[in-house]
Formats: sequence, C-alpha cells, structure tokens
Amino acid sequence: MNHSVNYLLRRLGFYFVAAWAALTLNFFIPRMMPGDPAAIIFARFRGKLKPEAMNALRETFGLTDEPLLGQYWSYLKSILQGDLGISIAYFPEPVTSIISSAFLWTIFLAGFSLIISFSLGTLLGTIIAWNRNGRLDSTLPPVLAFVGAFPYFWLAMVALYIFGFELSWFPLGHAYGNHVTPGFNIPFILSALYHAILPASTMIIVSLGGWMLSMRNIMITTLGTDYISFAHAKGLSSRLIMLRYAARNAILPNFTGFGMALGFVLSGALLTEIIFSYPGQGYLLLQAVRAQDFPLMQGLFMTITFAVLAANWIVDILILFFDPRTRT
Amino acid sequence: MIIKIISYLILISFFILVGCENSNELKKRDGLRVYQEAQMSWIRNFNPLSLAGSARWPTSSGIYEPLFIYNSITGEYVPWLALDYTWEKGNKVLKMLIRKGVKWSDGEPFSAEDVAFTFNIKSKHRALDTRDSWGYLKEVVAVSDSIVKFEFKQIYVPGFDALATQSIVAKHIWDTIDDPVKYSNPNPVGTGPFTEIIRFDSQLWELGKNPNYWQKGKPQINKLIFPTFPSNEQVTLALLSGNLDWAGAFIPAVDRVFVSKDTEHHKYWFPLTGHTTFLHTNTKHPILSDIRVRKAISYAIDRELVVKVGMYDYTEPAHVSGVSGPMSKWHSPYLDQVEDWTTYDPLKANILLDNAGFIKDKTGLRHTQDGSPLEFDIIIVSGWSDWIRSAQIVSQNLKNIGIKAKVKTYDFGAWISRMQKGEFDLAIGWAEKGTTPYALYKGMMSSEYLKPIGETADVNWHRFSLTSADSLFRKYEQTSDQKEITEIIYELQHLFIEHAPSLPLFAEASWAECNTKYFTNFPSKENPYATLSPNYPPENLLVLVNLMRR
Repeated sequence: MNHSVNYLLRRLGFYFVAAWAALTLNFFIPRMMPGDPAAIIFARFRGKLKPEAMNALRETFGLTDEPLLGQYWSYLKSILQGDLGISIAYFPEPVTSIISSAFLWTIFLAGFSLIISFSLGTLLGTIIAWNRNGRLDSTLPPVLAFVGAFPYFWLAMVALYIFGFELSWFPLGHAYGNHVTPGFNIPFILSALYHAILPASTMIIVSLGGWMLSMRNIMITTLGTDYISFAHAKGLSSRLIMLRYAARNAILPNFTGFGMALGFVLSGALLTEIIFSYPGQGYLLLQAVRAQDFPLMQGLFMTITFAVLAANWIVDILILFFDPRTRT
Repeated sequence: MIIKIISYLILISFFILVGCENSNELKKRDGLRVYQEAQMSWIRNFNPLSLAGSARWPTSSGIYEPLFIYNSITGEYVPWLALDYTWEKGNKVLKMLIRKGVKWSDGEPFSAEDVAFTFNIKSKHRALDTRDSWGYLKEVVAVSDSIVKFEFKQIYVPGFDALATQSIVAKHIWDTIDDPVKYSNPNPVGTGPFTEIIRFDSQLWELGKNPNYWQKGKPQINKLIFPTFPSNEQVTLALLSGNLDWAGAFIPAVDRVFVSKDTEHHKYWFPLTGHTTFLHTNTKHPILSDIRVRKAISYAIDRELVVKVGMYDYTEPAHVSGVSGPMSKWHSPYLDQVEDWTTYDPLKANILLDNAGFIKDKTGLRHTQDGSPLEFDIIIVSGWSDWIRSAQIVSQNLKNIGIKAKVKTYDFGAWISRMQKGEFDLAIGWAEKGTTPYALYKGMMSSEYLKPIGETADVNWHRFSLTSADSLFRKYEQTSDQKEITEIIYELQHLFIEHAPSLPLFAEASWAECNTKYFTNFPSKENPYATLSPNYPPENLLVLVNLMRR
C-alpha cells in the first residue's frame, strides 16, 4: 500500500512541474507573435477608423510596456488566485466566464465521443483478437483503417453535406435547437443529444480504428502467453478468459493512450467545432489566436493543460488498480 | 439478441429526437434572421461607447442612434436625432438642432442634455474617445432642450463626421455607471427601433421592437433574430436553406451558388463603396521610390483580368483618382488632361523602365545599374484567397515587363505588423475611408502619420508625404464652404495622380445577400435607398426602419 501512495505522490510531483512548465510557455509563446492586439482590432475596421482611435484602444486594454518578467510574476500570481484576466477580443468579459460554457460543450462532445470510441474500439479489438482470422477480423481492420486515413476535415464536410444538407436528417450546426432554453430540462437535453450525433459520429469513426488495432495487437500477444494456456487447461469459460485474463492485461497500454488522447481531443475538436458550428473551446481558441487575445489564449491553454494532467492522473490511478506490478 | 434490442432502441430514440426537433423548427417565422458577425457564442455586450470590443452589431444599428446618418449610396447626411446644423464664428462653433418628441425605450424623454452628456463622458474617459474628438473640442453644452453647442479649441471641420455619427446614450442611465469603459450594458435603453432583448442565449438571441419609437408605425417587423455562425461556409448553407433573411457575406459565384436556388427570393447586391483596394508600394524602397517605376508597375497590371479572376467580376478596375462609384462626383473635371496610369499598357511600362535605367538581360529580367535584379515581394494575408489570386496575376503581369514579383502570404497579425512597420515591397491592402476623398488623400500623402521604417505607422504604410499636400489638408480642415472643399479635393487628386504614392488596383464593393420570402423592401439596385450590406452601421438603421413583413 505504501508503494502505491509513494507512486501516486511521485506522479503528482511530476505533474506539478509539468503544469508550471506549461504555464510558463503559455505566457511567453503568445507574446512572441508579431503584431499587437490593438493594431489588429484597428485593422479589422479596414480604414473606416481614424488613426487617432489607436490611442483610445491602447488605453482601454491597458497594454503596458512593463518588462516581461514583471508581467510574468503578476500573471502567475493572478492565476493562483483563479483570476484569468479580461478578454481582449470579447472585451470586457472575464476570461473565466467565456471559457466555462465553451469548456463544458467541448467536454460533452469530445469527451463522450472519446469514451465511446475508446470503449467500442477496445471491445471490438478484444473480440476480433479472440476470434482472429474470423469474418470480423478480416473485414473490420482494413475498413476502419481506410476510413481513418481520410483527412478529418474532408470527412466531416462530406458528412455534414450529405446527412445535414441533402438528407436533412441532422441539423447543420449548433449545440442545441433554437426553440429550447438551455437548462436542466428534457427538451434541451434531447436537443443537445440530437445535435451531438453527427459531429460525435465523425469523430468516433476516424478514431475507432486506432483503438481497435492497438487492442487487437496486444491482445494477440497476450493470448500466446503461458497463463492463458493455463487458464484454458483449468477449464475456465472462454468469456472469462477473454475478458478477465487476456483483456485486462492487454488494455493497459490503451489506458495510457487514453490519457494522451484526451489532450489531442480537447485541442483537436477544433476542426469538428468549426465545421459543425459547435460552441466549444476549439473555435474560441482560433478566435483568440486571430485577435492576439493573450488572456483568452492563456486561459484556454491552461484548461487544456490541466484537463490533460488530470486525465493522466486518473489513468495512473486506474493502472494502479488494474496492474498489480505497479503496487509492489 | 442484446445487440439487436440496443440497436432498435437507438433507432427509435433517433426518430423521437428528429420528430420533436422538426415539429418545432417548422413554426412560422416572425423575426428577421440576420447574420453580420462571425461568432460561435454570443457575449451579452451592448456598450455603444467603447470601440474595443465585442458590442453586438445592433448596438450602433438598432438600439442606439446617431445625430445624422451618412448614406454611403447617396453621399448625404440624413437628419436623424438631429434635424439641422450650422457652423458659426468662423467654424469655431457648431450648433445642432435636436429633434423633439423622441423618447428613450424606458419612456424617459430624450433631449439635448443627453447629447452633451454623451460627448462629455468621452472627455472624462479618454478610452471612449475613439475618434479623438477632444483633440479639437473645447466644450459641448446643451444651450436649450433642443440645441447643442460644440465649441472647438482648434478649427477642424472634418470633425463633423465623428460628432454627427456618434451613438447617443441616455444621461439618466450612464450617469450612475462607475466605469463606462468596462461596462457591458446588458439591458440597453436606447432611442432606436429595436431595443427590447427578448432572449439571450449563447447560441441565439432576439431583439424586439422599441415600444416608444419616435417614428410612428415603425419598425414594421416584430423582432430581429441572431443565430451564431462561425464561418462563411455555414452562412452560405443557411442562406441556401432559407434559414437567414439578411447577411453580409462574401459568396463566390453568387449567381450559381445562391440565386439559382430560388430566383424569385434569393437576391444580392454588391454595390461599389466608392473606395479602392490598393497595391501599396513602399516608397522608401530604393527602387520603388522612383515614380517612373511605380507608374510602370501600374501600367503593367491587367486590371480587367485581376477583377475577373481574382474578384469573380464583382467589381471593376480602379480609377486613377482612387475613388469611384458613389464617390465619382468628386472626380476632377480636368482628368482628361492628366496621365491615366491605371490603363493596361505594357509597352509604356517597358519604356518607362528603360528610361529609368533598368535594363533587360538575356533572360528578360531587368537589372539595376550595379547588376542586382528587379525583385519584389507582394505580401498578402494567408487565406484571403481573392487577394492571393489577384496578387498572382499582378506577379504574372510584372514578369512580362522584366520584374520578378513573388507572392508571399503571412498570418493576419504578422501581415499587419509588417505593413505598419513598412517592412514590405508591394502589398495588396485597403486605404483610409471617409465621407469625402479627403481621408484617403490624407492617409496617402500627409506627413502627419509618416513614421520611419521599423516604427509602427497606423496609416500611410507606403510612407509618402508632400509638403504641398500638407498645406492643402490644413486649408481643408478650416473650411465649411462646399465650393472651396471641392476645389481642394480636386487639387489633392491631381497631386495624387502626379506622384502615384500607391497604386489603385480595383474598386471596393460591399457584400450583401437577402431572402425576400418573408420580408420585403430591402435596398436593391432598383431601389437604392441605402446600402444593403449589414456591415455599415449606423447606415443600416435606414434599412431596419424600412423593412416590411410580406
């Protein structure tokens, strides 16, 4: 037991350092981009504004010439206090209030499609490895690998055009219908689910193959080991051997992959959200970068970083549970 | 077995979802659905004073109103909250007569006090003074309930535009706001035709009629509806499927893509704005500083082809004066006596370059006296495909006269930073816009905004100035005499054409589409009472009060 606590504490220390490094990069990298936010807002008016407006804009944003290091300390201090500052692109809205709703939508859409794709892919991988050279095993991997090889952008556009525009089975965009009021009520929840089907399906379809193949490959190696033969010799049922003996071991690398994938999904949902007009944080990130909205960019990168670290922490605990070797 | 049951369940729930969704969406339309801002989720901000941000589009075109509205199609100021104005004391005092009988949407009466307050709050909070009005104003007072007096500390007649088109706010509301710069004004009280927020959700919001609107019987539509669209592709799909009534989006091949789907109701109007898109020439570049080289480049460009290939034929080649369309009334009557270097004449271009001493070698490329080739970069914002295509044609054209021009694309932030610092050779970009060509020529030729290379210049990116032009600008700023104003503009125009500080490329058009299935009386080529594009607040007020339900 002591070993497990030690292990978790060590991991926690590592995450702490990782978080600090991410926060620091998060501060300096956006500031290395050329241009300044006031100039970009001014330029958006394409000559309709008088140059005198620049002074008013710079004054509004309180853009200072304070040395970077000083800015960096006040940045760290306000982050520890939970204050992410005021957005520039959405002035004068605080960053936290902009991010919070977008974050929930992204977690809902990307999180659920990741969980579905992970569970379904792992399950299919287990089954086709168990019945290898069966009918499923010879059809599923090539088909899914083929679909997964399409550029995601193109696949999502085609799905939107066929199922949304031509057939009108699904809405063309947005996270819920215009007739419902957001809140905890049945019509809203149904509408949100309905709107999530098409974008989630496209995300699941392209990622399913990866989970399935990696599970299948490890599963096949595991099935060749002695303890599986021993379990067969003991006369255990096939289902028990498949799930409790083989799959439980084979799933470990997939778990690690899950923690990593969460990060990709949170930032990678960007394309999905743009194509399906989904109000998540991927699109927000694009806007923030375009407007050189440092506070918003920092806030978004920070939530992504923390979400990934948190997910990896949970994966660590899960591995501790599934893999007795980490406990000794 | 279990799998079968689950898949049936999924199918059934899917049809239930589709069913309840569609039955609701088919309800009859009673609001005008508008697209103007590319947004993914709405932020509730209706602050008409701060420019910084993210105030929703109707803030300055629906909720709040200005004293006069500039109509870009007719080129005239339409009296709105003010009825008339006079210049007094040698243009040191401007008096405006304020309309009577106007009420705020909360029922309080509107008066000259509100107007004076709006300007005085800008003097207290300089971050709100987005047109730098207090650079020339001394004081603004309400002389009576219906007269506002603007006193100038320095005569500046062109300042009228900033004063006339300022959105006026209610004194009894804004008096109590501590920090109007950071105030998001969630429940606005305005004088405009639409002021009541019916609902505000992140994805969609609705704006209802002002119960106390001063134009009796108007507006004639019940509400405006604003769904979110993140990109032009989404807007195009929504327009095609009839989910939008009014939009200001660029649609390629609009006749085929949009109009052909419903020729009776799908309309567009892309009028010329009078302004021009330029091929900017960095006049501090050792070779481009030579007028002959700039003019040669201009002669070499086949503008007809640029407009056809780059701009889908939506606009026309630029006029040599830099203004066209509704601004053509400012064209000097002596233009037939000046050199029109915007015509396509590669032969003349070659002669100019030969005379300037840039000789062609065997490969057809020109060189300077010391042997370095004539090579320029044309910088464009990445992803702005219409301008990229235009630049590629310019590059082809320049190759024909022995100049090597490479098209380079940059991210918007990097591009604008290069433009402002003067770190470019050639670039496609916009120029200053105003109600007369004065703004354009001032941005083009005034020393006021001139900065050395490497320092940020907000305008005059091409870095050119003329002392003779400077004195004309000063003269223009002092006079309110229409005849004198016209004469000065002519003189500036001739200076511009003589020196070619930057090269007009094509006339600028505004993008606007509408669907007349549910609503009518949109402006059009046949009924041009204002511009159709919603991208021109507060001019769009003219459209909002004239729209009708079918």
